[in-house]
Amino acid sequence: MKAPRLHRFLVGWYPAPWRERYGTEFLALLEERPPGLRQALDIVSAALDARIHPQLRPGPLLAASPPVAPEVRLPGVPPRSYGVVPSPSAGAMSRRAFMRRMVGAGAALLSLEFLGGTLAFLWPQFRSGLGAKFRLGRLADIVVQQPSFANGWPFSYTPARAFLVNVPAAKELALGRDASIPDPSADQLLALWRKCPHLGCQVPSLCEELKRFTCRCHGSTYNIIGEKLKEGPAERGMDRFALEIDEDGMVVIDTAVIVAGAPNLGQEYLTFMDPFPYDIKCE
Amino acid sequence: MGEGPSQASELGRFAEPAMLVLVSLSDGPKHGYAIMTDVEAFGGASLGPGTLYAVLARLEAGGLIEPLESDERRRPYRLTAAGAAALAGQLAEMGRFLRIGRMRLRGATEGPDR
Repeated sequence: MKAPRLHRFLVGWYPAPWRERYGTEFLALLEERPPGLRQALDIVSAALDARIHPQLRPGPLLAASPPVAPEVRLPGVPPRSYGVVPSPSAGAMSRRAFMRRMVGAGAALLSLEFLGGTLAFLWPQFRSGLGAKFRLGRLADIVVQQPSFANGWPFSYTPARAFLVNVPAAKELALGRDASIPDPSADQLLALWRKCPHLGCQVPSLCEELKRFTCRCHGSTYNIIGEKLKEGPAERGMDRFALEIDEDGMVVIDTAVIVAGAPNLGQEYLTFMDPFPYDIKCE
Repeated sequence: MGEGPSQASELGRFAEPAMLVLVSLSDGPKHGYAIMTDVEAFGGASLGPGTLYAVLARLEAGGLIEPLESDERRRPYRLTAAGAAALAGQLAEMGRFLRIGRMRLRGATEGPDR
């Protein structure tokens, strides 16, 4: 009867002299008690142990024949049975196959390490800069820091390169009215990216006279909620970051999620129009 | 052969499984599978097949056990006189250890109140 493939594979890890001596009874044992994963690992580690302790290999059974000379081979000295290679017994593994297997396992291990290292290196770790989540603070804190935020003046948050806009108050401000809205909901907030969608210059602060944003590079002009007006080459409004108010009441800007600005379709598509002409810009 | 380990202290991490195998063989020859089931029954520990044969090889090299004629494919092993002596020595050592341990533990539990 032929032993199962797995058993022959496991026995194959042992050195040839060990297999000659114990192979048969070991296979019989495995047949009576089929090995699970733990037993298989036990066998492989014991087989490696047998390879590094050759002095523990017993001689042939019923030692009538003299003990086999210890296997000390100088490099370059051919093995005893030079020429005729005995065909390996069932499940046997030649020294060459063993070496090949070990080299293969080593290469696999090495490439796994490389893969792991590469992944760890490339894994995104946004703690700051574009792509990070920024916790700006509670609305009350922002109003304390910049009281005019309640009156519609954008709050500039430099680490995220964003303007936090209190939309209802900002509209009132742009229309020339005076309103105080200190606690807008998350839906009423906008996080405008201070990067001009034209060529990427930083959009300066709101100009006081028109309550508009005008990019210094090429004059692209946006209203107080970032919609593109007539002036300047930009083809859409200012881009926005995703924004939420978390369960602690903190305003959180996620700079990994960017929403493209509104398309530039003309005056009639604006959310609202401030009292100044459509085609003028801040000076 | 005879150059192998004859003392439990030379067996390293195989010292404990070696004790289990010696005790298992002390009531008669057994083959590998019988040793495994016997050790599980009295020792409450499971020996992996690789560990078992690593121990058998060491004990055989140390002359503590000897192989018998194979029964079909399974080969029984028998405790040698040297093996029985080594096991007796080990058990005596463990007995001394037990006695001292029990004595000290009693001293600790019946010690003066604090």
